[in-house]
Amino acid sequence: MDTTKIIDSRGAACPGPITDLARAYRNSKVGDILELWATDKGVRADTQAWATKTGNEILDVKEDPEKIVVKIKINKR
Amino acid sequence: MTMKKVLIIGGGGGGLILANHLDTNEYDVTVVDKSDQHFYQPWFLYVAFKGSKRKISKPIGELIKPGVNFVKDEISTINLDEKKAYGSRKGIYDYDYIAIATGTVPDPDVIPGLRQVYEEYGDYHTNVWNSEKLWSHVSKFKGGTIAIGQASPTCKCPPSLLEGAFLLEEHLRKVGLKDKTRIVFFTPFPRAYPAEPMNKVVEPMVRERGIEVMPFFDVDTIDVQNKTITSLEGDSLKYDLPIVVPPCRGTKIKIIPETVQDEDRFIKADKKYMKIAGYDDAFAIGDCNTLPTSKTGVTAHLEAMAVSEIIQGRYAEFNGRINCPFDTAYGKATFVIADYNNPVAPYPPTRVKHMMKMTMARIYWMTLMGTADPIFEQFFKFTRPEKLNKKYATSE
Ligand SMILES: Cc1cc2nc3c(=O)[nH]c(=O)nc-3n(C[C@H](O)[C@H](O)[C@H](O)COP(=O)(O)OP(=O)(O)OC[C@H]3O[C@@H](n4cnc5c(N)ncnc54)[C@H](O)[C@@H]3O)c2cc1C
Repeated sequence: MDTTKIIDSRGAACPGPITDLARAYRNSKVGDILELWATDKGVRADTQAWATKTGNEILDVKEDPEKIVVKIKINKR
Repeated sequence: MTMKKVLIIGGGGGGLILANHLDTNEYDVTVVDKSDQHFYQPWFLYVAFKGSKRKISKPIGELIKPGVNFVKDEISTINLDEKKAYGSRKGIYDYDYIAIATGTVPDPDVIPGLRQVYEEYGDYHTNVWNSEKLWSHVSKFKGGTIAIGQASPTCKCPPSLLEGAFLLEEHLRKVGLKDKTRIVFFTPFPRAYPAEPMNKVVEPMVRERGIEVMPFFDVDTIDVQNKTITSLEGDSLKYDLPIVVPPCRGTKIKIIPETVQDEDRFIKADKKYMKIAGYDDAFAIGDCNTLPTSKTGVTAHLEAMAVSEIIQGRYAEFNGRINCPFDTAYGKATFVIADYNNPVAPYPPTRVKHMMKMTMARIYWMTLMGTADPIFEQFFKFTRPEKLNKKYATSE
């Protein structure tokens, strides 16, 4: 079964949520779903650029008053 | 009444600041470190890229206030349920409160080929001897491609990576080798500096100085024979001189229960009180914890101050404040400033800030003893990130 891993980067401004995502990527496998939680507004553009570069897929981006949630599917490792 | 025992593992910035802020009339305070020397790590940069010979270590025994005990021992196991730490040399330590402040451990073995590069060339991040080794290569370099960067995203002091590239460029220009050299700065992040507002400030300098940037470059393997670094993202980079800061991990100490550590052995602690998940008497301070902030001396310092208050029964919390000095070379510097609620401010580099960074290096030993606290308080007050963000807001 595919696993969903939550990466809680709320509050991280520097180096920021992309650090946690890149770290989780290293420890992930094809089929994994990563859910990145962040407050840093830059997370939308950064995860999009990251997904394009690495060949992975952004499934969904949601924003609520406390956080931005980016759901990513690992297609390539 | 017997005094409560506070056991501090690690006599780096975090551990010593905590020890020096506890009342030794009320608490029995012991610092345990595997080394009896404390190093001023920010200076590793100047050893590696300027060949600085400044003495950057002092005996831990001279950096603690009277009444604090120091033991040289390497802790191998900590049992949080039994409240005991086990040393490899001197035996068993029990405690009422424990603070783990063991910093990070470089791990060059997770990347094929990196161990060989690390041993041959050193780096500018892990210890003074590796910085000296790197300087011996940098100072003998005759031209070609220098690949410089961090192997993986987890690294202490985010600005220091690009500071290395800036100082390297300054050195090469000074010795007249700039035209014969290609400097390629590789980074696992989307741009030269991970936090966008600060990237806007430094990127023009990166460009102007002809430093090439390879973003999204997370080192996967190094082929030493063919002098090529390949990234997880599928790019490759040929080098003549490799300067690769190895990935770092949390602590080697076996902690019981093991669920308090993440997959890279960092210790899970809550972001305001630094309490280890599930324990009221155990804290993780500084680089060894999982707080969503940069791994820097300043954060270790502020976390330690908050923990000292909490242990002494007063309310305190850490607000995520970062304050990383950023040497942009040629005598200028800036600071990366943010906290949990405010993004990084686009704070421009100036000569005065460079002087402040250099002054910090001189008064560092005082900051460990707590005698510089009033200076810090004033500085932090005047440079609150919300203030700076307003003042330096870009037009968009
Ligand atoms: C090149 C460079 C530049 C930097 N520049 C800056 C800067 O300008 N500003 C800034 O704020 N920060 C800077 N930093 C970061 C800063 O040095 C660290 O974040 C800071 O030292 C962290 O403090 P710490 O107490 O968490 O860990 P450390 O200072 O690393 O101390 C950890 C201590 O624990 C001991 N230890 C480890 N394991 C054990 C064990 N099992 N048993 C006993 N003892 C143990 C070690 O011997 C060590 O003394 C820089 C770092 C580097 C490498």
